[in-house]
Amino acid sequence: MNLAQVLNGLALGALLMILSSGLALIYGLRGVMNFSHGALYMLGAYFAYEATNQGLSFWLALIVAPLGLAIVGAALELGFFRRLQRRSHIEVGLVTFGIALVINRVIVLIWGDDTHPVSAPKAVDGTTNVFGTDYPTYRLLIIVVALAMAAALVLWLRNSRVGLHIRAASHDTETSGILGINVDRVSLVVVCLGGALAGLAGTLAAPYFAVSPGMGQSILITVLIVVVVGGIGSVGGAMAAALLLGLVQIMGNVWLPSAAVLVPYALLIVVLLWRPTGIAGKRV
Amino acid sequence: MLRAKVSAALIALLVSGGLAACGSSDNSSSDASSGGSSTTSAAKSDGTPLKIGLIPPTSGALAVFGADEVKGWQVAVDQANAQGGVDGHKVELVKSSSDGQPATTIRAARKLATAQGAKYIGGIMTSPEQAALSKQLVALGALNFNSTGKDDGLIGADCSPNAFRSVTGSAMDVNAIAASLEKLPAQTWAIQAVDYSTGHSAAAAFTAAAKKAGKTVVLTQYAPLNTSDFGSYISKLKSAKADGLFAVEYGADGVAFVNQGAQFKLFDQYKTVLGFNMVSEPLFKTLGKKITGFYNNVGYDVDADNPFNQAFVADYKKANGVDPYYVPADTYMAAQILFAAVKKAGSVDPDKVKAAMAGLSLPDLSGQNVTVGPDGQAMRPSYVGQVVAKAGGPGGLGFKIVTTTPASVTHPSVDPACKS
Amino acid sequence: MSSVPTAVQTDDPTVVPKPDDGGRGMLDSRVSVGLQRRVVLRGLIVAAVVLVAGLFVPDLITSSYYMGVAADGVVLGIMAIGIGFLANRSGLISLGHTAFYGGSAYGLAIATTHWGWSPTSAALFAIVGGTLLAVAIGALVIRSTGFGFLMLTLAFGQALYAVSTLTSVRSVTGAFDGISVTYPSDSTTFLGLSQADLGQPDTFWPLAWICLVVVAFALWLVGRSRFGVTLEAIRENEERARFSGYNTYLPRLGAFAISGACASIAGVLFALKASYVSPDVLGFQLAGDSLIATIVGGFTILIGPAIGAVLYIYAQGKFGDTGNLELYMGLALIVAVIFLPGGVTGWVVEQLRRLRTLTAGRKEARRS
Repeated sequence: MNLAQVLNGLALGALLMILSSGLALIYGLRGVMNFSHGALYMLGAYFAYEATNQGLSFWLALIVAPLGLAIVGAALELGFFRRLQRRSHIEVGLVTFGIALVINRVIVLIWGDDTHPVSAPKAVDGTTNVFGTDYPTYRLLIIVVALAMAAALVLWLRNSRVGLHIRAASHDTETSGILGINVDRVSLVVVCLGGALAGLAGTLAAPYFAVSPGMGQSILITVLIVVVVGGIGSVGGAMAAALLLGLVQIMGNVWLPSAAVLVPYALLIVVLLWRPTGIAGKRV
Repeated sequence: MLRAKVSAALIALLVSGGLAACGSSDNSSSDASSGGSSTTSAAKSDGTPLKIGLIPPTSGALAVFGADEVKGWQVAVDQANAQGGVDGHKVELVKSSSDGQPATTIRAARKLATAQGAKYIGGIMTSPEQAALSKQLVALGALNFNSTGKDDGLIGADCSPNAFRSVTGSAMDVNAIAASLEKLPAQTWAIQAVDYSTGHSAAAAFTAAAKKAGKTVVLTQYAPLNTSDFGSYISKLKSAKADGLFAVEYGADGVAFVNQGAQFKLFDQYKTVLGFNMVSEPLFKTLGKKITGFYNNVGYDVDADNPFNQAFVADYKKANGVDPYYVPADTYMAAQILFAAVKKAGSVDPDKVKAAMAGLSLPDLSGQNVTVGPDGQAMRPSYVGQVVAKAGGPGGLGFKIVTTTPASVTHPSVDPACKS
Repeated sequence: MSSVPTAVQTDDPTVVPKPDDGGRGMLDSRVSVGLQRRVVLRGLIVAAVVLVAGLFVPDLITSSYYMGVAADGVVLGIMAIGIGFLANRSGLISLGHTAFYGGSAYGLAIATTHWGWSPTSAALFAIVGGTLLAVAIGALVIRSTGFGFLMLTLAFGQALYAVSTLTSVRSVTGAFDGISVTYPSDSTTFLGLSQADLGQPDTFWPLAWICLVVVAFALWLVGRSRFGVTLEAIRENEERARFSGYNTYLPRLGAFAISGACASIAGVLFALKASYVSPDVLGFQLAGDSLIATIVGGFTILIGPAIGAVLYIYAQGKFGDTGNLELYMGLALIVAVIFLPGGVTGWVVEQLRRLRTLTAGRKEARRS
């Protein structure tokens, strides 16, 4: 394991971190595992593709695509989560499964089945020397953005008023409602934010991977595993689990390539046997 | 047993009787290609149409290729019908489709062969679909013309006497690459391959050929199919001291590998980058100029200098506005093989057409003649090409053919597992 | 059945299921403990009539294509009613039954092709193996509920998919290429059906139909038994059931195993029919499809998921052409969950009930 491989693990973990923290936020508040999160991520990548295709710079796409996904998140909250909040969570989860199928197909109907390129901006397209190792600048950017996002999210949840409300509502929705917290508004903020984070991950992934119709589904299962390993509903746990999975995945690729595809599942089973509630337990 | 016979007779009656019962609902998804007569009555007259059922994938990542397969068939059919049909038989395409899953494809094939009277099947994309259909062909009394499924099992363990293949197989293409190795400048090679049968057999054949040519392989590593993050593999490649890279990654994996390799500046350290199924015309636009100079196996030479090919290219371009590449070209050849066999048999009866395959010889787009082996494999050449700038090509790129290897070299003998 | 503790106090008022479950004759079973002979006999007669009637389906559907749809639908349906049984009796939604479906399909293919077993013993082996796999996985996941259960089953199913595609097991499973089912000799038959017969929908049909009716009848019996009542009590309130002296772990594991056995039977039928098994049978898509069939069909009624499966296969043939199958499936799932909580069959039953009360009410009005 040299430095380049550690960075590879961090880059992969960073992307998973952005995605899974949004998923964990939504789960914490609405109690619903959002199966359309992979589709939202893919939609983010396609928004980024469309934006750069229309002549916008990648940096602008990095803002536009998450905004677009925040709007999609608002639509999900208003159209489904809020209306169905009295229904069992698992039913709402099944609805998001259906939403994922619809979004997947709509993407193909709009942008076709081809694999699309999105190139990284010139400033970060080269390599940077990190302690004597040439490493792609773009991957370093992903790591930096993800860590900055994680720090900002944690600080915001800890220190701001909305953050306090989110934590309270995630802990006990009913009591928070009685205490005067507008749970519907808090929920709107959270689902929009979750969508925006999925959009951010998708945009960052566009030049990293390729933009293609299968990208949402293949990452969904990994992200679900991350969230379960982290402790369902815990944002901090999901972030830690994402970095852990990124590093373990790369170790698997390097040392045990023939069984590397089993790494996420092995991690899940080991963690759950060791600690059935996940890394973070039941904390938010 | 008796009931099976009765229902077979019933089906035969239905098919020849004009599909009175379920015609209205069954035909909703099909359309006769040239808008000609749709009567299916009057069996055994000279005017019997030659009905070909197509089952391309219409959803998923392969849908683009599926559409191009249909275009290849369409050009061949339009050409034939313009000359009054194949041996007097008007050709009709009956279009069905699949989601790429074997179960769906089998259902579609059964509908085509039994309810819609199309005993000739084409346009199926993937090897698993082809292998699954091979199991059912004899029972359906249908012949399958495979122009895209390259797995070696299809002319080996999974072969069927009713299946024919116009595209060169994986082993054939690997052998062509091996035969061309001497002409490529690099001396020490690293191999990056997909952890899949194609990847392993290609790596093995390449390593053997390298040894023979006095070259060395210093690193061989495999990445699982559907890998999207190649970072760890690329880091390993970068630290291996090689001046040549043999990469067997295709589809979305290939795009991700090339893009990420470029971000790591991986390709700068090689004299030769040789891909296997990695770069092809449909991906030129996506991959862009960074692949200029890459070598890759090529299934079809669009510039082949012979009138047969030129007529095909002209007609294809007229109909679709772009040059053909290997998928429509191989598909066109599947159609030509079927037409030649029908002519030779003097009938559209599948059994007679099947019998006519033995010893069949017809012109190939390469300019040579093509024959069909006892395993159903069309004996066509394989190429290695280099990506060069080409005005008017997709993404401004095109292939320059470097070597041509005849099928007698790439496919010298029939797999014993496939007894005619 | 041995998993049910003998000390069950079924007349304990705390564990009596809610009255809205009363349609299943819970009161009768509470008095006589378990299955009442008269009810079982009536069920048996109904099952026998349905079974015989179904054997004539190939004479009604002369189109080989629609016969194929019906046969495929029944095979998927057997898996779906297993998933529905678990959902209805235990409130657990599984996305991992592909593990048992695909596991047993591979079991049959490997036993016939690699070990040279006769298809009959291979089928038996595969069903037993698939069920044991369900017990093993169930032992690990059955303590979780809700999304935890759903995602753990999904993870196990997908892990098995990943295993089947590993290059190191390529000589066994064929990895992505799949494996053809080859019988020891051309004259080998499965219960008198040759490999070609099994590939033809009309000759395959009786086998699939008999399996469906037998499985449905067995599930019906289990549901009405004391075991079924125990399961319902646990579903309604696990904690209370535990305090009332129930062992809640074993009955839930039992329900999971039974449901996994249904998927195993379906997997074997699939392998017999297709003679070819590829990783698709373990894939995410099939996991989703079978769940959608279950939900859209409606699992409050035992055979609802089977009807959902037939509808699904029909839709696959109809819309697969346009590539919009995924779109329609997604919409169907959304609509079914939001507006038809009992699925299609639940809705139909509800309408019939409403009609009956309406006519009864009218009669009442006329009388007074």
